[in-house]
Amino acid sequence: MDAYLAAMLVFAGLYALMALGLNLAWGLAGMVNLGLAGFVAVGAYGSALLTVRLGWPMPLGIAAGTLLAAVAGAGLALLVARLRGDYLAIVTLGFAEVIRLIASNETWLTNGTDGISGIPGPLRGAVTPQQFNLVLLGLVWGSVGLVFLLSARLSHSPFGRVLRALREDEEVAAVAGKPVLAFRVRAFALGTAICGLAGALYAHYNGYVAPDGFAPLLTIYIVLALTAGGGGSMRGAVAGAVLVIVLLEGTRFLAGAIPGLAPVQHAALREASVALALLLLLRWRQQGLIPERTLTKAAP
Amino acid sequence: MMRIGRRAALLGTGVFAIGGRAFAQAMPVTFGALPPLTGAGGPYGPAMLRAIQAVVEEANAAGGIPTRQGGRPIRVVAEDDQTNPDAGVRSARKLIDVDRVSAVMGTWASAVTTAVAPLCWENRVPLFTVSGADSITQLPHQGYVFRTQPNSRLQVTTATDWLLAQGARRVFHLAAQSPFAQSSQEVMAEKLRAAGGSVTGFVIYERDKTAFRSEVDQLLRSRSDTVLLNGYLPDVTILLRELYRAGFDGRKLTFAYAANQRTFEALPNEVTNGLITFQPSPDMDSGAFRRLQSRFGGTEVDPYSAQTTDHAALAILAAAQAGDATGVAIRDHVRRITGGEGEKVDNVTDGLRAIVAGRAVNYEGASGPCDFDEKGDIRGTKFRFEVAEAGRFRLLQMI
Repeated sequence: MDAYLAAMLVFAGLYALMALGLNLAWGLAGMVNLGLAGFVAVGAYGSALLTVRLGWPMPLGIAAGTLLAAVAGAGLALLVARLRGDYLAIVTLGFAEVIRLIASNETWLTNGTDGISGIPGPLRGAVTPQQFNLVLLGLVWGSVGLVFLLSARLSHSPFGRVLRALREDEEVAAVAGKPVLAFRVRAFALGTAICGLAGALYAHYNGYVAPDGFAPLLTIYIVLALTAGGGGSMRGAVAGAVLVIVLLEGTRFLAGAIPGLAPVQHAALREASVALALLLLLRWRQQGLIPERTLTKAAP
Repeated sequence: MMRIGRRAALLGTGVFAIGGRAFAQAMPVTFGALPPLTGAGGPYGPAMLRAIQAVVEEANAAGGIPTRQGGRPIRVVAEDDQTNPDAGVRSARKLIDVDRVSAVMGTWASAVTTAVAPLCWENRVPLFTVSGADSITQLPHQGYVFRTQPNSRLQVTTATDWLLAQGARRVFHLAAQSPFAQSSQEVMAEKLRAAGGSVTGFVIYERDKTAFRSEVDQLLRSRSDTVLLNGYLPDVTILLRELYRAGFDGRKLTFAYAANQRTFEALPNEVTNGLITFQPSPDMDSGAFRRLQSRFGGTEVDPYSAQTTDHAALAILAAAQAGDATGVAIRDHVRRITGGEGEKVDNVTDGLRAIVAGRAVNYEGASGPCDFDEKGDIRGTKFRFEVAEAGRFRLLQMI
């Protein structure tokens, strides 16, 4: 049981990282990003390919994966400089699909739909599977802590204030002399870098990446985590990610406790109850579990 | 229903128990079923699971797994892999860490199997799968992976040989992007070239598309006598319609999972007539397959359910042979109950009886003879070729 709990905490940590990344661009700067799975994939594939094919050491691979995702994010942000709202959502969603299709079809690079297996993990093989879980648990939650602190500082710095100003009214910010595009690109790239980091850690934890793992479902989970937790709020993003894992996994046991249901019905009930819980949350608590405290005053 | 099962099981123990200990006191053995209940594999998973449960009920009625402590009843815990590697890994974690299963069976999508396999071998739990990607058994799995589906190389080799025997020389290959599109192409090109034929074109398409005009145009331009439709049910259905509209009159061959009763419901007969399907055949004359058919009643038995029937039976008989239901014991004993000169059995009841009596057994299952090579791949599967005629399939040939 503890191995299972540790594994689920690792997943929760990875989701929390992604939610924090999404929060930077979406929560703070108001830039919709439904391409999250694509950036996670860039980080995951980047680190996986560099460590497996070129034999790079893991920390370097993870750093490179993070950087690649940041570059991809900056590039996309420049491309979509004029898009807002729904249109931005469509293009970013399209970006994620493009990445997934490249991963499926550029077999020479990505090994196609077979995916890349045998990705090394920190101390994998040298320690028992349970200890490996704990190593990753420390690594992932350490990263969550670090990203949390950094993005909290960022959010309360003048930079963060500009991002919030952009979210509320871009023209006002522009009139106040803020270079809107530069801020947008930087916020977006920072957010996607964090997603790339999550992807790289995911690749080294699971030891396997395949295009199917980066389907839009992942983006939906993270968007739900952020909305449930509270957009714009760092703590909300982490809490939301943990909530999504608790819902996904908790329903497994709850559905199992209902007698007289076939496993197929359990599976359907699980998906339905996850949706229902989030619907209820959004109906009765739109601001999220831990809402953003204030728009003007920098509270910790 | 459960109570009846236990009573029947108790009766069974009366006959088979070793040392006369009570069945109900023995610790149950847990098997994890991980079929796709939702997602792309959703149409197949429920039947695969039902097949596993049926075998386990039968084994429980026959006294469970005999060990030195008496017969141990078997419990199946099912989790949904959602046809997604990420969800599959979380489900497998739960099965292995919480339910402490002795074996995982019934993974379907190749990506899920590849993602779950390392968890299984690291935790010393055997994994029985129906996934076809060649790469799966090439993983460093230390013998923990057993695959009842012939790998795609074997499938395409068989199909190409058959096509050559039918006089095909110019074959066009239309494939959905999948782990075996490229390897299928290599195998087919090599085989055809050796026989003086050729692959006239190879197009990989995106399976979620709703029209395939440009692909079909390329096929027509190539003046091929045969097309291999290497895709899945939804896209092959669309392709068949477009081939008919375009007036393609060559041979059309596809995998049996890509065309079934639903194809006939979606398309008129003149479109489907002449379509040839092939599949690694469940051994339809075997007792194991007939038993599965009667369990399933009126519904058609698909190859995957036949395979998961064997997954459960193999795990149970291997544990019985070992007298120990740990994952390592199951891994080490699967080959002892499948190959060799032992008494041929095609169900767990007979198998358990023979093992308790100390006789060697050779299990022949619903999906075939179930002999594994050293990498965990299945050997000696039969293939059946069928042709669509007026809304139903007629058997052409078994090879």
